[in-house]
Amino acid sequence: MINLKKKSVYLDFVKVLKQNPIIVIFFVFFVIFSFLYTRKFLSTMNLQAILGQFVTLMLFALGPSIVMVIGELDLSYVGIWMLGGIIVWMLTPVLGLFSILVFPLLGLVTGTFIGFVHTKTKIPVFILTLSLLVTYWGLTSQLSGGYPRATEKFGFITADIIPYIPTVLFWTIPLIIFAIYLMKFTKIGTYLYAIGSNEEGAKLAGINVKKYKMLAFVISGIFTGLSTIILFQHLGGSVPVELNLDTMVNPLVAIVLGGTPLTGGSGGPHKTIFGALTFSVITRGLNISALHPTTIQLFIGILLIIAIVISARGMKGVEVT
Amino acid sequence: MKNDNYFSTLIEKTKSNKNTVLPVITILLVIIIFQTINPVFLKAQGRITLVYSMSYFLIAALGLTFVVMMGSFDFSIVSLLKLSALICGLYINKFGLWVIPLAILVCVCFGFVSGFLFAKLKVPSFIATLGISLVAEGIALLLSKGHLLMITNSSFRKLAVTFIGGIPAVFYWAVGICIVSTLIAFILPFGRRVFAIGENAKAASMSGINVDRTRIYVFMLSGFFCGIAGVLYMAQMGGGSVGLGADMMIPLFASVVAGGTALTGGVGGPHRTFFGAIIITWTESGMLMNGASRGMQVVVLGIMAIIMSIATLNKSRI
Amino acid sequence: MGTKKNNSLLEIRGVTKTFGGVVKALNDVNITIEKNEIVGVVGENGAGKSTLMKILVGVFPPDQGELYYAGEKIPFPNSPSEAAKRGISIVYQEKGVIPQLQVYQFLLLGREYLFNSYNLQIEEMKASAVQILRELQIDCSVESFMYELSLSTQKMLEIARAILSIRLEQGDNNVNSIIILDEPTAPLCIEETRKLFDYLLKMKEKANASFVFVSHIIPEIMEFTNTVHVLRDGNVVGHYNMAEHDLTEEELFKAIAGKESSTYIDKPVSRNKVTGEIVLDVDNLKKNGCYYDVNFELYRGECIGIFGAAGSGKSKLLNSIAGQIDFDQGNLIVNGNKLLSGEPPHTRLKKGIGYFSGDNNKELFLNWSIAKNISILNMDKITDNIINIIDFKKEKKLAKNISDSLNIKAPDVMTDCYSLSGGNKQKVSVGKWLENSPDIILLEDPTIGVDVGARRDIYEAIYKMNDIGISMILVSDDPKEYSALCDRVVFMTNGKIDKVLNREEFEEVIR
Repeated sequence: MINLKKKSVYLDFVKVLKQNPIIVIFFVFFVIFSFLYTRKFLSTMNLQAILGQFVTLMLFALGPSIVMVIGELDLSYVGIWMLGGIIVWMLTPVLGLFSILVFPLLGLVTGTFIGFVHTKTKIPVFILTLSLLVTYWGLTSQLSGGYPRATEKFGFITADIIPYIPTVLFWTIPLIIFAIYLMKFTKIGTYLYAIGSNEEGAKLAGINVKKYKMLAFVISGIFTGLSTIILFQHLGGSVPVELNLDTMVNPLVAIVLGGTPLTGGSGGPHKTIFGALTFSVITRGLNISALHPTTIQLFIGILLIIAIVISARGMKGVEVT
Repeated sequence: MKNDNYFSTLIEKTKSNKNTVLPVITILLVIIIFQTINPVFLKAQGRITLVYSMSYFLIAALGLTFVVMMGSFDFSIVSLLKLSALICGLYINKFGLWVIPLAILVCVCFGFVSGFLFAKLKVPSFIATLGISLVAEGIALLLSKGHLLMITNSSFRKLAVTFIGGIPAVFYWAVGICIVSTLIAFILPFGRRVFAIGENAKAASMSGINVDRTRIYVFMLSGFFCGIAGVLYMAQMGGGSVGLGADMMIPLFASVVAGGTALTGGVGGPHRTFFGAIIITWTESGMLMNGASRGMQVVVLGIMAIIMSIATLNKSRI
Repeated sequence: MGTKKNNSLLEIRGVTKTFGGVVKALNDVNITIEKNEIVGVVGENGAGKSTLMKILVGVFPPDQGELYYAGEKIPFPNSPSEAAKRGISIVYQEKGVIPQLQVYQFLLLGREYLFNSYNLQIEEMKASAVQILRELQIDCSVESFMYELSLSTQKMLEIARAILSIRLEQGDNNVNSIIILDEPTAPLCIEETRKLFDYLLKMKEKANASFVFVSHIIPEIMEFTNTVHVLRDGNVVGHYNMAEHDLTEEELFKAIAGKESSTYIDKPVSRNKVTGEIVLDVDNLKKNGCYYDVNFELYRGECIGIFGAAGSGKSKLLNSIAGQIDFDQGNLIVNGNKLLSGEPPHTRLKKGIGYFSGDNNKELFLNWSIAKNISILNMDKITDNIINIIDFKKEKKLAKNISDSLNIKAPDVMTDCYSLSGGNKQKVSVGKWLENSPDIILLEDPTIGVDVGARRDIYEAIYKMNDIGISMILVSDDPKEYSALCDRVVFMTNGKIDKVLNREEFEEVIR
């Protein structure tokens, strides 16, 4: 009897690994880099850097991984961060610490706007959000006058509490848990998976598909809004005024690496965790390896392609555009 | 009574041809607005600025047009353009004018890879080309190592800056290529196939069209146009760092939809993009002439892109 | 004593529905559904089956009619959830399954157990899912994903979901439920169909359920239903109680098709002699779960029909030959060339196999003109020989010829296809093959949803192609089509070839 139970735990374990090959890949890379550059890679500083990058990726990717579940691509996150950051800088002298609330507000407004426009006009989401991202960037650059503007006031967000462990992690973990709870333990999450898996079937089951699709964008916007509060300080209390392709693409790579298919229906925030971890390990490892930074960028592009080719392997017959 | 009738048929016709009529009206609006604000707009000096800004841009947009006609999307255009320009700048002294086919060839190869990923490996085109664009950017950075370039080869520069009838040669290139691609789209069986795939990929496949191969060809064509655009861009600018950012993707794509090629595929065409490119680049240059910052320009273009793509969308096809 | 009244669970009386004031979809339909029985509703496409179903589940209301539940008059439901309150639920043909959900999520989708209006009570949901699975004897774990299960289990789960929805709406676990099954076997393969039906027979008593089985598949109806109602052109043309009547398949067949069936089909007057040359050799073709050991030869100028119920593998076989789906074993030889499994349709066309379907969405570019639709298949005919550009005059002329010969009713050949009527659209799709002439054309439901006049024109076109030596394979839902077009008819049941009849024998069978 006990024996049997053990076996089933083992089988469960194997099943989880089979469904999430990224966990294996994560450990493989971790071990490889640990062997290759033992001293540098396993140093506290590097591990902290890995966690730091993990936080960045994860926070950016939370909202989009929820939208990816319904099979859409939300690219607005960097835009919310940049525009929000500059508005916070403008408002801090007036509103003080409350100005940080600009982020969730902007996220909410953006998410609602995207959801509304998409459900009304059926414009492809990646086009809409890409245009919006660029528009936000333009506003940022306009409002900032062309220079990055730093705000000192929010240093407390990242102030050390426990040595060795980045404080942002404490802020990030509840957010991640909340996102996972939302997707796995509420009605909304179930409906979003249903819509991503089979929109027609969800409609037949009496789900208000339009409403929940819209809700997905709103939720994504709110998550991005909350995340960017943390990110703002985590990434130096200022925002860049130039659009950087990498900042936009890296969270996407993390989502896809994690195993959320572009067509939606499965995956979600919990899978993105390991995607983001793996991605951080790989980039940090490559950084240590003394490769030219541009080579690393090249490598990330190729990584994105490989990850997506693999995740698209089961999609034969699906009409791709 | 009769007049009324005439008027209503006019409205009817406008409605049914909205994708043709809208761009023309928009161009007139753009001209009127900027001309009133600043009369330099259409004067000789302004004209040359307008022509310079739209020419290489139009060529790149033509490549995107074919992709959008097919119902797909190509994100890698700007990166390929950059790469092609860079190759010209870096190797012009080594290879002379042979650098032109080399640059174009590299871009065609990238187009092939995008097309292959999309058609054969079923990666959505937007993501596939996003990946490709990262790779291309990476290579561009590797090659240039951040150096500034200067082109001294005058025969190369003459490609773009020779003045014919008061207008630089690059414009004639652009118009020529626009005409050729319009012909490709409308009188070659290839163009017909591209439209067919955009209209109904399933029916296209049943009509004996090799859908996968056509898709790859289209992405190669897009790469080809990017290559040419890059060469002409370098010849026009004569050097400097290649300062094209990801933000250029938006005006490019806006010019395709502004012309009336819908994102849903199957309608529009390169001739439409000619108008679209005029709308977008002239708005851009007009704002520049009036001292608007880059940020402001981007905001306006971004909003235009959203509005135009919604306006041209064919709702019955989604 | 009125035994009938006692048992009747749901009675539909005098239901009439008209669309757009002209088309009578249903005319005075009376159907009684008794407790724990399986009722068959059969009819051809467009006979009114789906309209009836939609009225029952509240998609739209009838113009006239009454509904009685257990002897009491009740109003017609006006939404699916209200229908569930009245004890009626539906399982749709396809698309009902949501593959990425877990079983318990799927069973309770839209009816989750919640606290605080959003949070799921997962343990309770699982428990009630386990309970219903146990009661309905469905063998799967509540935590497995839908896509991991076999198609028949998925169908059973859909039925369980329907039963559960009625119980939850009424808050009563012993309630009588009426489950409408819309062509439930369409996506299933043969073994799975069998499994599903065994299951239904077992379940009707156990789960206190009556099933309304909507289908056009005669053998299934014969085997599994207690009573059969035949719908034709919106009228119920026959009630058969299977226990009392000794109904044969042929009788049912005639009832479905109607006596006037032969009137609108002109027998082809002169047909080209079939030559002895083999164009297509189907040799032991097999696709697991769809069809097995299929062997036949197609001669030049011959038209073979593959006849069988939906789910007999006939469409799958045709699609395999067309290159839309692959096959597992065997050989397909066209003119001595072997065809490979998994070749795309355009390669098949190059090797001489064309495919024509009556489904306009599969065939037509609706935003294109007639001329362009016709020429897309005939590029070599309209291009200039020297520099390979499209010659618009040739294109127009070609389209004009075809349009005239098929009586396509349109202002001119530059008219866009979406503005044409259904029949004319179909004529355009068939017209493009007139000039192309591959060796073989595969016809799938060539005249589906088309009126008599257009049907004749399409048949004319097909005869014409046949006369110039094009061989054909026909698959259709309409038996009359076989007698109008085919020289030989291959009968398929359960994925295997039963018998091969020539036309005269076939007509005897269906008359």
